[in-house]
Amino acid sequence: MLGRGLRAACYTLLLVGAARADEAADFFRQSCFSCHTIGGGRLTGPDLKDVTTRREKAWLTAFILNPKGVIDGGDAYANELVQQARGVVMPTVAGINAARSAALVDLIEAESKLPESQFKGLSISSAPFTADEIAQGAALFKGARALKNGAPACVSCHSAGPQRGLGGGRLAPDLTKVFERMQSRAALAGWLQGPATPVMGSLLKPRPLDRAEILPLVAFFESTAQVAAPADTVPLLRFLVLGLLGTVGALLLLDSIWRRRFRAVRRPLLAAARR
Amino acid sequence: MPSSAQYLDTLLFAALPYTVLVIFFLKTIERYREQAFSYSSLSSQLLENQHHFWAVVPFHFGILLVLTGHVIGFLLPRPVLWWNSSLPRLYLLETVALVCGLLTLVGLVAVVLRRAGNSRVRVVTSRADWVLYALLLVQVFTGVSVALFKPWGSSWFAAAMAPYLWSIVKLNPAIGLVSGLPWLVKLHLVNMWLVLGVFPFTRLVHILVIPNQYLWRKPQVVRWYRDRRAGRCGASKG
Repeated sequence: MLGRGLRAACYTLLLVGAARADEAADFFRQSCFSCHTIGGGRLTGPDLKDVTTRREKAWLTAFILNPKGVIDGGDAYANELVQQARGVVMPTVAGINAARSAALVDLIEAESKLPESQFKGLSISSAPFTADEIAQGAALFKGARALKNGAPACVSCHSAGPQRGLGGGRLAPDLTKVFERMQSRAALAGWLQGPATPVMGSLLKPRPLDRAEILPLVAFFESTAQVAAPADTVPLLRFLVLGLLGTVGALLLLDSIWRRRFRAVRRPLLAAARR
Repeated sequence: MPSSAQYLDTLLFAALPYTVLVIFFLKTIERYREQAFSYSSLSSQLLENQHHFWAVVPFHFGILLVLTGHVIGFLLPRPVLWWNSSLPRLYLLETVALVCGLLTLVGLVAVVLRRAGNSRVRVVTSRADWVLYALLLVQVFTGVSVALFKPWGSSWFAAAMAPYLWSIVKLNPAIGLVSGLPWLVKLHLVNMWLVLGVFPFTRLVHILVIPNQYLWRKPQVVRWYRDRRAGRCGASKG
């Protein structure tokens, strides 16, 4: 009886531990992966492989919880990190708390011990992209080629590159120069693997971009950054004019469909009498 | 620790929807049981018929098509995303949606001007009507603005807004899907909940009693009980 109880308790502890690790991995993917890899080299932030051997766990937990507070407190190591990141200060991650911060440190330690972490990121060569890779990226962006895991095409919300027709989406930022903002292929690929904004994170968590889709998208964004200017207002004006013309046409159509509609009693009688 | 913005998002996109839905269902049922004959839009066509057509017809055609589009995006997001995977098809759908939105706006502005400008119609316009018209004006104006300035709504509605609305239905609100959206979209969404909240207190209840059965009932033969040549009533020869 006691043995069964102990076994049940052990299973429960294992399940709770696994759930905590899964939750931490999901959180890392959504909130950290856009700037950090574990064993894949530096992006905007440093590579976190073996970071627990460089700093104490308590320091790391406190830093993840409130990066600006630690930096402003004059911590020498934290300020060195800021210099290495060319002045980019790590933001306080949305939804972070002490338990999550500790779980993240444990996750980073465990992933560092693996031969290849799931957060190593993509290794992209520095060779120029081919025209075919750029065309594939454009097709993925515009939705002509569906994203494998069912995510909506980027053009639903974003614009990038030359604006033809009615242009791209304007719900979210124009991505024409996103490559310049991210500064490297690896950083852009990292962001595409785990976008850190709430909407993109929620949208892509159940249907992430496939690894094979990230390379052509990086190629496409690198090409738009080199040749195109950000979106202008011409597509918006075209859309507005189309909408107004359509509305006038629809009103004329409604008027012609109901041209024999009942209008009044007295006025037509008076008009007929006067005639 | 959650920020004040996170508290506000929770209030607007989780607490407000459930509060509104409770009010909507309870009051709608209570009003139907207690005041069934008040389920009407109380037509004012008899009082003024010159501007009535240009107000009511564009408004109803526009809003019915726009609402149908929203419902399709909610129920069938994947087919909508498939349709939009071709840019010409996406542009066609969005242009039709914008035209319907503009028709709704034109009709609604004409409704409000007619109500305010005609003394006979103004007399039969209640305070609840004015509140409803104000909310509808905000809703339609923000809707057209979203269509125009934050495209392509048919795609991102299917991708982000439909899962959020389903999360409300499943009692597990996914606030993250809407918290990062532009304020214009958030205003449109919050105002939608407010319109739903005032629904059972206003003339909007007529939506629930439109004669839908006309679409599927058996055809009825209608004969004139009148001798047209004599110009007087008489037995039908039919």
